Amino acid sequence: MPEPVLSLDHVSKSFGMTHALSDVSMDLHAGEVHAIVGENGAGKSTMIKIMTGIHQPSSGAVRIDGDAVTLAGPQTARDRGVVAIYQEPMVFPDLDVAENIFISSTKEGWFQNRRDLRRKAHALIDRIGMALDVDQVASGLTLAEQQAVEIARALSQDVRVLIMDEPTAALSAHEAAQLRRVARTLAEEGVSVVYISHRLEEVFEIADRVTVIRDGQHISTRPIDETTPDGMIAEMVGREVGNYFEKAPTTATPEVLLGVRDLTLDGTYENISFDLHRGEVLCMAGLIGARRTDVALSLFGIAPATGGTVTYKGAEVRLTTPRQAMDLGIAYVSEDRRKLGLAMEMPIRDNVTLATLSRYQSRAGIIDRAAEAETAEAYRQRLNIRTPDVEIDVGMLSGGNQQKVMLAKWLNMEPELLIFDEPTRGIDIGAKAEVHDLIRDFAAKGGAVLVISSDLPEVLAMGDRILVMREGVQMGILDAADADQEKVMALATGQVRSTAPDAREGEPA
Amino acid sequence: MTRLSSFATGLRSWEGFLFAALLVILAVNAALTPEFLTVANQINLFQLSIEKVIVALVMTFIIINAEIDLSVGAMMGLSACAFGWMFQNGVDARLACLVCLGIGIAGGALNGYFIAAMALPSLVVTLATLIGFRGLARVLVEDRGITDFPDWFDALGQAPMLGPLPFALIAFGVLFVFLYVLLQKTGFGRRTYVIGTNRDVADFAGIDSRRHKFILFVASGLISAFAGLLYAARVGAVRGDVALGFELDIITIVLLGGVSIFGGKGSLTGTLLSILIVLNLRNGMALMNITGHIQTGVIGLLLIGSVLAPRLRLPRFNRAAKPKEVSP
Repeated sequence: MPEPVLSLDHVSKSFGMTHALSDVSMDLHAGEVHAIVGENGAGKSTMIKIMTGIHQPSSGAVRIDGDAVTLAGPQTARDRGVVAIYQEPMVFPDLDVAENIFISSTKEGWFQNRRDLRRKAHALIDRIGMALDVDQVASGLTLAEQQAVEIARALSQDVRVLIMDEPTAALSAHEAAQLRRVARTLAEEGVSVVYISHRLEEVFEIADRVTVIRDGQHISTRPIDETTPDGMIAEMVGREVGNYFEKAPTTATPEVLLGVRDLTLDGTYENISFDLHRGEVLCMAGLIGARRTDVALSLFGIAPATGGTVTYKGAEVRLTTPRQAMDLGIAYVSEDRRKLGLAMEMPIRDNVTLATLSRYQSRAGIIDRAAEAETAEAYRQRLNIRTPDVEIDVGMLSGGNQQKVMLAKWLNMEPELLIFDEPTRGIDIGAKAEVHDLIRDFAAKGGAVLVISSDLPEVLAMGDRILVMREGVQMGILDAADADQEKVMALATGQVRSTAPDAREGEPA
Repeated sequence: MTRLSSFATGLRSWEGFLFAALLVILAVNAALTPEFLTVANQINLFQLSIEKVIVALVMTFIIINAEIDLSVGAMMGLSACAFGWMFQNGVDARLACLVCLGIGIAGGALNGYFIAAMALPSLVVTLATLIGFRGLARVLVEDRGITDFPDWFDALGQAPMLGPLPFALIAFGVLFVFLYVLLQKTGFGRRTYVIGTNRDVADFAGIDSRRHKFILFVASGLISAFAGLLYAARVGAVRGDVALGFELDIITIVLLGGVSIFGGKGSLTGTLLSILIVLNLRNGMALMNITGHIQTGVIGLLLIGSVLAPRLRLPRFNRAAKPKEVSP
């Protein structure tokens, strides 16, 4: 076996108390396409960031040609021939293809010879086998073409390791195929290609070897013909599924609160159909790019659907603004606390009453601050928000406590339907259990909950039923009773598409 | 001891600092120029900038909302010129006043439509309407002055109305109290802050930020038109260049008062203190025969100081862009 181009040698990485990677070793060889697979949060991104110098390992070493190196930053990694391209390519829309390719090139000097530049750009584009006019302005390019520009840019700098992070997630099938051909061509020229994808069929099409990562640990590295999709999924989710979430008894009733039929948002998701019953917790599972949040945003009136129907308490409703949804009793707790959920520079008190401000106003519009403080204080106690008082800016709280403030804001609206997007992302295990109890409690009192979660054990523990989506398509609804991680992942990765039980016949578990 | 420490805490807020600065300026002025602390001088110094400080009140709302209105000076000019033109063409002065307020509402609605409904940046929209309003004002009146307004109209701007106080100063007082309660005590005020802090959070909480912004720009147009009329009444004449460049003085006052140009932070108390500081500083310097250009330079330095001050106290924010998926 020749010397690997790049290798991770017992690399660990911690962020504070969190161990993102523990003792991961892997080798990349020239001329191979090496796929890395794993669930969301398994540590793939951290691996890439270590390879490209964005993060430094807490222990262990990165080796290039066998020598331990310190990659102080992305520029150092690039100088060593390690380049990553991401789902969203970085191109400058007003520059043409040739200018984009050589944007960071220092070799060309201050005064670039345009004809020379064009000729070189042409050669690079030819090399990756794309038909692309180098004079074309980048804003008119398709995503796949933009990615080709990024790859050409990498090639212009003598790339040895090209890391492609979910490059096809946003591409059409045709464009994705085009991009996979490019990756294959490069590998044949001797570049070591790292390919990260949630699409297992893609992995089987182009990879030479596959490495599985789970919970920050290296599980296996095998040649592609020694593995099967089922085996790979089993390794991704782990055989011994930790039951760290207690499965709560269901409180679902037969009464349908929300009925969704063939809900479609053109270009985003299509034909989503399900019933949500009072007392039920329905979880939406899927990988990144499954478009679950987009469905939630339509139900909350932010991104109105373009087709299909929604019935609420038996009557058909049209949801075009959040206000309409809120007036019906629908609350949406966003996955992005910082950008969409909380006014970080404002006190807890103001945030808790944000969605219900009119209740605290006199007829002249004056806010009753004492009543506000009373409400905030009541939630501080009920949800166990750890803060000395409610006048502190929300930004000062820990993630778990921020999550509780956000939940308080919506519980104060006394909703009947709670849509909770990634309820426990980025919060510690103790706070997770508390949030789970609050959700269960809400359902037990007759509310209905739609949970979007990328945390599979959470989905299995919380959900009475599990709706699995993949790239905007509803792959099936599983009863929690006969769902397990393998079944959910098989649907989420597109290995199978469930025929039963469909929403139309779906009864609460 | 405790009183002293709470005073020190108060000083640490921007308003506290402004208040201390104001006291210093008043003391220095009073010591150097005996006539400074007379009622007549205090009213006079307010009177000379009354139009600007009235508009500064509504500008406070706009900037806290994370927007800007550059067209206020031009709207003041348009309102004044439209009044002059109508008066010259035989329209009853009372009716002309009402029409001018209508022009203010219409101009504000034009700004509001592009900013709220079309989601264009207010900097660009109001720069365009600044040019448009000013152009219209010049077309109406050209370079000749219009004067000889009815006595009751001139009196609005010049004669004492309540004790020694002229109408414009009373209007400022009433408007300040009303807007203070609106911004600091009501739901409308709270929404102004929330939208300015994070518009997406507001929208996701069911607050109609577009409607809110529309209302603010209409109010800005209306108040600017009103201020333009006050200017015409005080000076007793209008020309095409009435209130030229006033928007910059107005924005300066608001920023100096501690309102963040990025929105979400500031208060009308700060704006009021800033008004008092700017007026007293200019007046004091004028009484000391310091020229207007140097006065402007001093105000400019103050503004830079006000923008720098919070940065010196707060740790630097790490605004580096983060990639979408962060594991773990």
